Amino acid sequence: MSASFPGTRERAVLHFNVADFAVAVERVADSSLSRRPLLVAPLGAARAVVYDMSEEAYGEGVRKGMPLRRATRLCPRAALLPPRPELYARAMRSFFRELQGYSPLIEAGRVDGHFFVDVTGTHRLHGPAVDIGWRVRRRTRAALGIDPIWTLGSGKVVAKVASRLVKPVGEYIVAPGEEEDFLAPLPVTLLPGLATRERQLLEAYSLTTVGALARLSTQQLLVAFGPRCHYLHAVSRGIDDEPLRPAGKGPETLSFQHLFADDSNDRDEVRTRLFALADEAGAVLRGRQLVCRRLTLRLGYADGSEASRQALCRTGAAGDLHLRQLAVEALERAWTRRTRLRACTLLCDRLQPRSPQLPLFPECAAGPLRAQRLQGAIDTLRQRYRQGLVGIGRQGLAGGG
Amino acid sequence: MFPLRVRSHYSLLQGTASPRQLCRRARQLGYPGLALTDRDNLCGLWAFLRACDEEGLRPVVGAEVSQPGCERLVACLVRDDEGYANLCRLLTRRHCQPGFDLAAEVPPLAAGLFLLCRDEELLAHYRRLGLCVAADLGPLPGAAARQLRLFAQRHDIATVATADSDLAEEGEAPLAALLAAIRHRLTIGEARRRLAPQALQEASSYRHSLAIWPEAVAETEKIAALCPFTGPRFGVVMPPWRGGDSLQATPALRQAAYAGARRRYGDDLGEPVVERLEHELRTIAAMGFSSYFLVVRDIVHRLAPDGSRRRRPVCGRGSGAASLVAYCLEITNVCPIKYNLYFERFLNPGRTDPPDIDIDFAWDERDEVLAEVFADFPGHAAMVCNHVFFQPRMAIRETAKAYGLPGHEIGELTRRIPWMHGGRGLGESLAALPTFRDQDLSPPWPEVLLLAEKLLGVPRHLSVHPGGVVITPRPIDAYAPLQRAAKGVPVLQWEKDGVEEAGLVKIDLLGNRSLGVIRDAIAAITPQRRRFAGDTWQPEDDAATRLTVARGETMGCFYIESPAMRLLEKKAGSGDFEQLVIQSSIIRPAANEFVREYVRRLRGGAWQPFCPQQGDILDETFGLMVYQEDVTKVAVALAGFTPAEGDGLRKVMAKKDKARRLAQYREMFFAGCARRQVAETAAAEMWRMIESFDGYSFCKPHSASYARVSFQAAYLKRHYPAEFMAAVIANGGGYYSTFAYVSEARRLGLAILPPDVRHSRRAWSAEELALRVGLSAVGGLSTAFVDGLLAARKERPFADVADFLHRTRPAENEAEALIHCGALDGLAAGANRAMQLWQWASYRRQCDDGRRPALFAPRLPPPPPLPAPEPLAVARREFAVLGFLCDGHPLRFLERPRGRLETVAELPAHVGRRVRLAVWLLTGKLVSTRGGETMEFLTFEDESGQVETTFFPETYRRHAHLLRSGRGYLLTGLVEEDYGALTVTVDALRLLGR
Repeated sequence: MSASFPGTRERAVLHFNVADFAVAVERVADSSLSRRPLLVAPLGAARAVVYDMSEEAYGEGVRKGMPLRRATRLCPRAALLPPRPELYARAMRSFFRELQGYSPLIEAGRVDGHFFVDVTGTHRLHGPAVDIGWRVRRRTRAALGIDPIWTLGSGKVVAKVASRLVKPVGEYIVAPGEEEDFLAPLPVTLLPGLATRERQLLEAYSLTTVGALARLSTQQLLVAFGPRCHYLHAVSRGIDDEPLRPAGKGPETLSFQHLFADDSNDRDEVRTRLFALADEAGAVLRGRQLVCRRLTLRLGYADGSEASRQALCRTGAAGDLHLRQLAVEALERAWTRRTRLRACTLLCDRLQPRSPQLPLFPECAAGPLRAQRLQGAIDTLRQRYRQGLVGIGRQGLAGGG
Repeated sequence: MFPLRVRSHYSLLQGTASPRQLCRRARQLGYPGLALTDRDNLCGLWAFLRACDEEGLRPVVGAEVSQPGCERLVACLVRDDEGYANLCRLLTRRHCQPGFDLAAEVPPLAAGLFLLCRDEELLAHYRRLGLCVAADLGPLPGAAARQLRLFAQRHDIATVATADSDLAEEGEAPLAALLAAIRHRLTIGEARRRLAPQALQEASSYRHSLAIWPEAVAETEKIAALCPFTGPRFGVVMPPWRGGDSLQATPALRQAAYAGARRRYGDDLGEPVVERLEHELRTIAAMGFSSYFLVVRDIVHRLAPDGSRRRRPVCGRGSGAASLVAYCLEITNVCPIKYNLYFERFLNPGRTDPPDIDIDFAWDERDEVLAEVFADFPGHAAMVCNHVFFQPRMAIRETAKAYGLPGHEIGELTRRIPWMHGGRGLGESLAALPTFRDQDLSPPWPEVLLLAEKLLGVPRHLSVHPGGVVITPRPIDAYAPLQRAAKGVPVLQWEKDGVEEAGLVKIDLLGNRSLGVIRDAIAAITPQRRRFAGDTWQPEDDAATRLTVARGETMGCFYIESPAMRLLEKKAGSGDFEQLVIQSSIIRPAANEFVREYVRRLRGGAWQPFCPQQGDILDETFGLMVYQEDVTKVAVALAGFTPAEGDGLRKVMAKKDKARRLAQYREMFFAGCARRQVAETAAAEMWRMIESFDGYSFCKPHSASYARVSFQAAYLKRHYPAEFMAAVIANGGGYYSTFAYVSEARRLGLAILPPDVRHSRRAWSAEELALRVGLSAVGGLSTAFVDGLLAARKERPFADVADFLHRTRPAENEAEALIHCGALDGLAAGANRAMQLWQWASYRRQCDDGRRPALFAPRLPPPPPLPAPEPLAVARREFAVLGFLCDGHPLRFLERPRGRLETVAELPAHVGRRVRLAVWLLTGKLVSTRGGETMEFLTFEDESGQVETTFFPETYRRHAHLLRSGRGYLLTGLVEEDYGALTVTVDALRLLGR
């Protein structure tokens, strides 16, 4: 390992990874937790599953998504905490702010403590990339109390493999030109982006190391892996030109999720939660003067399978009632099994600004106009007092009203 | 008010109460009778008639006939015999006729029926045709009922109130919701929301609800009075003989019996044979059963158009084997004179019930025999059905699904349920099971188990009885409704007890794998090597075979291969036929202690008859009751029962629901013994032995018949092990898994040759001192693919992998399975399995690219030099495809614990000492101790041999959750010996790693 990133020309990508992010954040919030294993999972629910766990608990056999009862049996010493997604999102934002000073090209994972930072050509501003790694680590340790792994490579793949290698703590620098040698002896399963079937095939062909994979030509790989041969050929040699995908580029999608602490297949409960998500989406859309023209509902079943269906609205929707109607439409088509649901995610995309145009013949559009005015009044009340103050009938407890 | 339209749980997945519960409830509510009309079936008819009889209710027989694909239905009440036959025909058409339409089908069959209907169109139609019909207003005067009433008044149709109930009591509503959830695949919440089931109410409640229409309530009694039919009375319904009328049957039977006797015993029939034949023929003729024997003969050995008869390998089961006539007709396979089988056990003039000849065929020939029966008696034959009731596993699975629990979680739980459960609540008894030690039973599981428990004993669906066939002189749909089973055969809606109650004579044509084994093994032995002839073969006289039996080396042999049986053979150490007949009968669930006593007495232990009155009736079995008929004999000798009473007691012992009747017999038995001055202790001892016939037990003719097949199998195993073991596995094995038979073959010194597309046949085959794995053993190959492969190979041998793939066109999973199990190794010219997989991918790529010329095999590029997979990975894949390894035992891949280990073969040197064994679990058998605790006998093996082990309750409790067959374990336990048989009493066990 030599840290000779000369700076200006060579591509340099830093990967920061906070292992067991939720646990790390909780430990920052309460330092007494750092002395014992930790499980993050909804409390008070008989059928809760593990949301995140500390390294010690992982060592005892606990995994994400495992029934909490089993996890506590495997790791009886563990402290138990409910997940606080808001807190984790805040921590992500703080971390992001730390990184912002070094590069505009930052790709962030979804509330999981992963960041790629492209620091190519920043040598004059911030010094060598390696120094940035050390500096960020020092600063996050000091400011946020979090100790991230950091790795440096010429692309995302190499940096990611390196961080998988040093997990749960440490740093690793792969110098340019050394990628292939670095990867060759490693197990092929460390490569990111492999589908389950591809892993199985690699095992069946006795391709256990990255080096063994790298020895095959694209033509040979085409035989076994089809169009994926190019990707495999490139990553096995550490060739990775894929640019980072910073947030805010490309079409925006709003996402709202509910996790059922106790999975459920009760129609009323599911609808209630879904309506709450639709209302939440409505509040965001109206707050930003947007409408969405496509609503996607993604259901996560308790057995791990997923189903997703869409509902379209040509003119765009932003009102609670309208969004609820679209959500139910999607639900009717997505929910075809009896198996309980673990998660329910509402995605709003094809966003566009709300048209300020008034109808030409207001007397013909009296209904929609009235609904709009009513929605406006409700929003005002909610803003002035609190979110759950007024709701629509049969909403249940979801809105807190 | 007379409750009409009451449905029981035989309205499948709709009604909740059994006919008995309904009748009890109707009596409590003060009704004089009940009209049971289940949806589209008469499955519950006999239970209903019995319950009415017990409760003193007047039954009204009927059924609701629905029209598929719509809501329409007509409830039909039976008025007389003609109406009953018509209802049976109507229900049969409902199930068997596509496009069944109530408007068209009911009128021609309406004679003798009273119809209740809600559909206005149907009502008007039936009324126009002058049928007996009333408008069914239901139990409440709702809007629909009001409209229907107006319609009925306009058309001059009587109106009637009906209970229209699915529940006996309101409390059954949760069960009704669960049933609806199962039937319509709803969530439990949804089912509860949609359903409003009716329970049977008291008369005053109906009167009160329908106070505005008193005439509708009064009408119920008038209709009930119009339906005096209280159930069909057929008498004994024998199958008709097609060879002539009943007068011709007697001489025909005599002629056939004598001709058969000459084939069996030679032209010079000795006096005992002639005497016995004459006696039997006289009895058979006097009882009118001659034609029955001929019908059975015609089924077993069907007459071909050229007048010859096809001789199939068969084995008579049940008491039929006691008949010399049956032996001479080649319906049974054991000489009743030689083995002293008692004809009166089968037929005697005092018996009123029909005779019962049951036949085993080779399992793969049985469907053909059934097809012949249906072809010979079209419209007059059908199979008996089984009513499949919810058992714990199925009940839990279905309930948990309605609660939306994920499949893996359900499987995890149900896999731990052994085939036994206590009488406590389901949740409680499961939680107490040792296998549930670390099972998570958090909500909603307690609720699921509570509800699932209510499902137990509710019928789920009908299935086909494994072999019961009924043949009737009149068209069979006049006796009972028929349905069509999934495999296409017509099935009666009654199970065997119902059929018996109706008087229909059932013939059991069952499939037996061992007859196929013996047939195939003999066929595989070349004539030059064969040292026996089919007709005169007496395997029970062969010394080597007897030694095999005496050593308990009978794995794979029919009926004597279970661990318990083999241990008993070892302890008995005799290996002779008479003892084997006793042994295969004495091993039954409730007779453990008598087995031990039998061994002691057989080995020369002293014994005395329990009382002088016993005489010599049990001398043959060392004073112990072994066969079913011993119950009759003892009851007659000790308690002065008449033979018919004794027979009654014997029969009651075989029934499930016998407590009440058994108590009566018990009283009679002790009273009789007291009258005859039998000592009280002796009477009690004898009764205890009678009680050991609880569950299943056999009669001597049955045991003798089976022992003969056992000896044939043992002979073949001893003298032709390769052919025998190949046939055993090819025929699907028996008690053990293929894995266990493969190990046994290896212990017999046979090599296991891996499957090979160049040589393997469809089935396993014998080669010189070796077994060749058949293609049928390769998991995932379709029949069509194997057919194609064999046909292609017959044309010309495969040249290489590409040629093979080109000519057989396997599907992806098939090609992978063949590669993983090594079936292509022979064609691959040294390429390892990873490279073969590569070749397969390469072939597929060419197919996908459309570059492959249609006529010629493609030229595959040479595979890259991929490293050979690890031996463990190869073995793991081979095991996944075949279920065993060809070149050794999987134990060798498991991590060996440190310290001294014994092998199974070394155990005889360690009797009385503690040993540690690294072994593989094959199979186990759960038993209950007298104190009601669970323990298990488990069979393990290592490369050197098999060992039987005992897990006493305490050890079992600690380890049950770890035990699963097909895994390696480290055992620690004490080696014990009993009459030469070794067992290990285990005190600790752990899983071996890797």
